[in-house]
Amino acid sequence: MSERTKLTRRGLFRGVGTATLISGCVKRKDHEKSDGPVVDDATAPAEIGPDPTPLRFTLNGKPAEVSVEPRVTLLEALRLDLDTTGPKVVCDRGACSACLVLVDGQPRNSCMMLAHDIAGREVVTAEGLAKGDELSALQRAFVEHDALQCGFCTSGMLISCAALLRHHASGGPGDEALTAERVRDAIAGNLCRCGTYPHVVAAVLDVAGASRQKAGA
Amino acid sequence: MADRKVTLNLGLPGKLRKLKLSLPEGEARPWDADSKLTVVGTAVPRIDGHLKVSGRAKYTFDVALPGMLWAAVLRSPHPAARVVSIDTSAAAKRPGVKAVLAVAKAGDRLLFAGQDVAAVAAERPEQARDALAHVKVEYEPLPFVVDTAGAMKDKAPLVHQAAVEERRTEGDEPGAAGGSKASGNVRPLPPSVRGDAAKGLRESDTTHEATYVTQVHTHSALETHGLLVRWDSPKSMTVWASTQGILSVSDELVALFELEKARVITEFLGGGFGAKFGASAPGSRMGFIAGELARAAKAPVKLMCDRHEEHVCTGNRPDSRQTVKLGAKGGKLHVIDVESHGTAGIGTGAGVGRNAIGIYTRIPHVRVQANDVFTNGGPGTAMRAPGHPQGAFALELAIDELAAKLGVDPLELRLANDEHPVRRQQFSEGAAKFGWKELRERSAKLRERDTRIRRGVGVAASIWGDFGRANMTLATVSVFRDGTIEIKNGVQDIGGGIITVLAQIGAEVFGRPLSTVRVKFGDSEYGSSVGSGGSQTTSSVTPAVRNACEKARTMLTELAAKQLKVATKDVRWGDEATAHGGSGSITFTQLCKKIDGEAIVTTAYRPETYGHEPMAFPGGKQYQIAGVQFAEVEVDSWTGVVRATRVLALHDCGRVMNPLTLRSQINGGVILGTSYALMEERVLDNDLGRMLNPNLESYKILGARDVPEIEVVITEVHTGANNTGAVGIGEPATIPTAAAIACAVHDALGVAVRSLPLTPAKVLAALGKIPGQPSAGTTLATATPSPAGRSR
Repeated sequence: MSERTKLTRRGLFRGVGTATLISGCVKRKDHEKSDGPVVDDATAPAEIGPDPTPLRFTLNGKPAEVSVEPRVTLLEALRLDLDTTGPKVVCDRGACSACLVLVDGQPRNSCMMLAHDIAGREVVTAEGLAKGDELSALQRAFVEHDALQCGFCTSGMLISCAALLRHHASGGPGDEALTAERVRDAIAGNLCRCGTYPHVVAAVLDVAGASRQKAGA
Repeated sequence: MADRKVTLNLGLPGKLRKLKLSLPEGEARPWDADSKLTVVGTAVPRIDGHLKVSGRAKYTFDVALPGMLWAAVLRSPHPAARVVSIDTSAAAKRPGVKAVLAVAKAGDRLLFAGQDVAAVAAERPEQARDALAHVKVEYEPLPFVVDTAGAMKDKAPLVHQAAVEERRTEGDEPGAAGGSKASGNVRPLPPSVRGDAAKGLRESDTTHEATYVTQVHTHSALETHGLLVRWDSPKSMTVWASTQGILSVSDELVALFELEKARVITEFLGGGFGAKFGASAPGSRMGFIAGELARAAKAPVKLMCDRHEEHVCTGNRPDSRQTVKLGAKGGKLHVIDVESHGTAGIGTGAGVGRNAIGIYTRIPHVRVQANDVFTNGGPGTAMRAPGHPQGAFALELAIDELAAKLGVDPLELRLANDEHPVRRQQFSEGAAKFGWKELRERSAKLRERDTRIRRGVGVAASIWGDFGRANMTLATVSVFRDGTIEIKNGVQDIGGGIITVLAQIGAEVFGRPLSTVRVKFGDSEYGSSVGSGGSQTTSSVTPAVRNACEKARTMLTELAAKQLKVATKDVRWGDEATAHGGSGSITFTQLCKKIDGEAIVTTAYRPETYGHEPMAFPGGKQYQIAGVQFAEVEVDSWTGVVRATRVLALHDCGRVMNPLTLRSQINGGVILGTSYALMEERVLDNDLGRMLNPNLESYKILGARDVPEIEVVITEVHTGANNTGAVGIGEPATIPTAAAIACAVHDALGVAVRSLPLTPAKVLAALGKIPGQPSAGTTLATATPSPAGRSR
């Protein structure tokens, strides 16, 4: 994560010392009231739970607020509380990437993060890759190449591929054409049971090739 | 029944012939080699693709109803135990809990680790899981056995106290069922016999005998088993289910709860692979649990398995230990004898397919005797081509080993014994395309030089029947006044893309753009349909839909005749479905505006399969779908790591409906087969009786970097079996892959690795590179046969 320049509460507490911090903790009793404290910065050392506590973050470009217990994962909060069911529950322990989302631009398994750890951050799910009803070039390529069958791994596949394409477009060894091998590396953690891997690779190379052509023209 | 005769141009490429068929009344003239189709057979992207790539497709796991509760199931920690007492009262008081259910009662015997014990329904899934810890159960552990070999021993604990009822689903291959009475834990399945195998073995001049082992394979569909039950009245419910057989779920619930009606909805389904039939999973009474909890809580209840449960109680592909005896006489295969034992846990169905009897039809003596061996494990169930990949692995590798003894090319040995005209063509075409001869020579050179990295090639065949079903699919087609067309049938789309194919049928028959055709599917209200099993969905559903479309089109023709004031026979359909007659014409949209009422609505079924070409199809009662796969592997002879580098898959699926989704299905079959060959294995601990890898990090399934380069070749056959000419592909595509890979490893190493998965340890053992273990024995020429412990 990038360094933050502004003064955070954690930074302030670090300065005043741990003893002050502990003595400064208060037991919150009004968690469930909507006008109670809201966690909007996951780096802040708030004492929360065990009851549901509200938190704020950005979901697919829009502000989102949800009140969940500290034990609730980001995946559960998205699916159960925010009706965002693009990320799927498959292994629920970070082995399959079906629940992948972008957190501040990085692909993360949402089953392996607590919801309260994304307070104040930006989350993008498969739903957020399209602009309204208009699919992104990557999503269109997935459909055209039939890079999906049952579709249960597809949301996670798209997140891995979107991250790869963004990374590729934003410099690094930017002039090199994207290779099938790099695409396979990018989706190495995405398990698919129907066997869509070859078509996923074809779809991503197609989009990368098209954008390179456009850039060169 | 007023049958009518038609003459069709049928057969395989280059061997077409005119054949007379008799069609039942109301049956559309079948598409044949002369039919010029413009939408069917083209690479149309799936019509619901946009929903799946935008995260908007709602699967059963995603459906939420107001007031819905989440269920969780307490499962037996013991592989065998008697329930002494069960107390759910503390669990009922936990936060969020609305209903509890003791599934097991005091005195019940539990037969495997993972069996249902109790269940709760709570407001959130984590509350339900939490409450399970407060169900108090006292167990009396009993003796158990979980390994196939152990269960066959004389004094092994008896798994079942009484006779076992066979559980068959639409996922099972139609045909012989019903095994004999069990003796101990061993229950013989109906044998396949031709000639006299014992006599054949005596008459043979060259023989080969070895034992081949396959592992337990779990379906591991990404969406786990699950359902959501909502009671609508004491006699009816609506159910959302992750199922590959909507009708099977409805039937089970109606019988279980004595309902008048159970409506079942499966709009999207995250895979099934044979395990998702009925309201319950093979090893968990999920329908009963969700229904009872919903009734008790007076709220809709959703029950989804977690990954652990999915591995242990929702079915698996049974393992096998197959002793194969082959004999050759005068350079030709003379006898195949297979004795197999496998475990489907507490369930049945450890057969090894029809490969021996159905493919090698020229061999005079064949005997295949498979046996179910009961163990204290979760029940097996149909899994993509049940029995066939196991049987293919043992038989094809044994044939390669025999070919090595005979000093002949294994491909030639197959060609000498396989008389299926389509498969013969696939063998020859594939060999040329793959570079079979040159690659075999390369393998021999690498073996001779004893290089570290070896390469090898193998080939294997598949067989599957055309099981297209009659009178199961009720298709409804409506042509609306606004010119749109709606196709309605309650079929579920397991991922094969049937919905898109149905839209293509509509667009083809009416000559209208695909965008004007809607498909309503995935709901029992839309008319009965088949389950997605037996590779029969496309061949069962498309003919019914086509018949309904053709009926509607006939009515449109009559309407056009009326509008154009000509005789019906004088109406001609032109471009964009404009009707011409006399000097006039009327566009499709204009014509539809003349429809009386809201729409023209027709319904139709599919009749019995009525034709076959090639007519002489050896190996089965139905048209036999042919397939051959060639595989290339790279083996590191120092580390034992096997990589599948290339697969050439040649398959027949009758008329191709959509080459894009077809390729996806074949890729999927090859990838599943590669995964089975190299990685997947359920590990049960013999002492604990529990699964050690019930997850997706230590139960390894193939990832993107492990996928071979896959080339697909379609042998399009015009079978005349039904009016669209479709036959199945889902299962055939996975049958020969593991066998071809194992044969390729044999070619690379010169020794056979006779156990799946082909792990480094087994490869090194076969090469004699594990200290203290003898090598498997060399069957192919190598310069320096590796003696045991050579690499020390």
